[in-house]
Amino acid sequence: MATPETIITNAPSERPAEERDLAGINADYKEKFGFHDSETGYAYKAPKGLSREIVESISEYKDEPQWMRDFRIKAYEHFESRPTPQWGGNLNQIDFEDIHYFVRASDKNSRDWSEVPEDIKNTFDRLGIPEAERKFLSGVGAQYESEVVYHQVNEKLEEQGVIFTDMDTALREHEDLVREYWATIIPPNDNKLAALNSAVWSGGSFVYVPAGVSVAMPLQAYFRINTENMGQFERTLIIAEEGSDVHYIEGCTAPVYSTDSLHSAVVEIVAKPKARVRYTTVQNWSQNVYNLVTKRAVAHEDATMEWVDCNLGSKLTMKYPSIYLLGERAHGEILSIAFAGEGQHQDAGGKIIHAAPKTTSSIFSKSISKDKGRTSYRGLLEIAKGASESKSKVVCDALLLDEDSRSDTYPTIRIGEDDVDVGHEATVSKVGEEQIFYLQSRGLDEEEASKMIVNGFIEPITKELPMEYAVELNRLIELQMEGSIG
Amino acid sequence: MTESTKQQIDVCAASELPSGEMKLIDAPDGAKIGVFNCDGTLYAIEDRCSHDDGPLAEGPFDSDACTVECPRHGSLFDLTSGRPRTLPAYQPVTTYPVTIEDDTVKLEVS
Repeated sequence: MATPETIITNAPSERPAEERDLAGINADYKEKFGFHDSETGYAYKAPKGLSREIVESISEYKDEPQWMRDFRIKAYEHFESRPTPQWGGNLNQIDFEDIHYFVRASDKNSRDWSEVPEDIKNTFDRLGIPEAERKFLSGVGAQYESEVVYHQVNEKLEEQGVIFTDMDTALREHEDLVREYWATIIPPNDNKLAALNSAVWSGGSFVYVPAGVSVAMPLQAYFRINTENMGQFERTLIIAEEGSDVHYIEGCTAPVYSTDSLHSAVVEIVAKPKARVRYTTVQNWSQNVYNLVTKRAVAHEDATMEWVDCNLGSKLTMKYPSIYLLGERAHGEILSIAFAGEGQHQDAGGKIIHAAPKTTSSIFSKSISKDKGRTSYRGLLEIAKGASESKSKVVCDALLLDEDSRSDTYPTIRIGEDDVDVGHEATVSKVGEEQIFYLQSRGLDEEEASKMIVNGFIEPITKELPMEYAVELNRLIELQMEGSIG
Repeated sequence: MTESTKQQIDVCAASELPSGEMKLIDAPDGAKIGVFNCDGTLYAIEDRCSHDDGPLAEGPFDSDACTVECPRHGSLFDLTSGRPRTLPAYQPVTTYPVTIEDDTVKLEVS
């Protein structure tokens, strides 16, 4: 077991007064999430840089079947052959040779919290994970660096055939099931970052819900990067069989470093007929993390798929969860919140493709920009030929808190059928003096008034979250709002 | 498509399209068609990925699985049906009947 040695960077008492006064964005991030642990006792840390040898060594280290090794190598070749995307955010500053692609902190993945190495346990204790598990979760997974260090699922669910484990274990214990669905939703050649993930993936969750089983309480995964210049590339696959129901929640944080880290996940979801899957993300990476994620789901006949995507942290996020409505009457919903403060660019949004008749969908996007932060809504709504009698509504609202911030909307709508109902609304508003004045006349001070306006702005999305997460999200946004007035 | 609009075109000598090989040909209407030999059985699909209309037939061809992979975004197409097995494509591509007559591979197109 490694020596417990937690270093808290930049404790509050050491912060100069000017910094406190300028606290706007993620005011207490460093204290609450931005600490880092010693790497003493780590089981393995790959040297920086990406090569065929590194990719092969990851597979070797994990003792994977040949088909997975071949898959990784092919994906690496795709990554190498593709240019860096020049749209969305600026990715040219990422030095792919200055990243550790695989870091194993612990030799084992425990189901007993007491067996988790002490320093890692301390980290997750500080982040409140075991407490959340006891209170309101059906299962929890905790990924630290490249691999999952703790995984637990409610015994009753396990008896019903629910599988909730980390992807490495799933590949070992449920290889046929994994292989049947693996990369069928997001092939490695889908885009450069999906290719990178496919080449060096490690960790992530595997969820299988048998037909007719309803998972009443959410399953949660928590992702933590500790090492500087680290790349985290988890891979998640959720299969909801016919008539099943599951809610998966993920959260993520990282230490504050002066150099950049990279998080590039791939998430694939299959909602079979009449299944219902909700996937909620509260993304709160530190502001030195590039967050470049590909998330995609398919919904078959009468299935419902929902993405609730909250992006508060990171330096740059490029993430557009998508839903392919492949079966009649399938329903898709994307709720997206993006908050960009100083130095942040949240390029978020969503894509819904209606590929069958009588399918319905909605995209609600809410973005807030302050202190020169930049938010972008980038979305696609496509109604394919044959998807008659489909309905969709896209609403994107942007709130600018000052003159220096920026918000852009890039909506794409393609309609291949006449007999459909499609609506698109977009608003950009600024917090006006009149609104503030009115609330002040009701006894609030300027900062409280501003927070209330922001909370009201995002309320349609926070009300969709489980209470504990809604409270946390409101609290995080309030923290980001501090110092935003005057 | 009606019978009267169909026509047969010669692709190549059967010996020029062994198992595991693909021939790309121009149809009379200007479209390109890929003719594949999957372990002795011939299949033909249009050279257009239904995802973004890019070229398809010259992507990686797996003769055993009888699939071709779109070189642009990785969708895997079943050559026997034209249907995509993986996203991002979700619509099938056009398939064409292929026969061998007098040692010549022939394609039926509209």
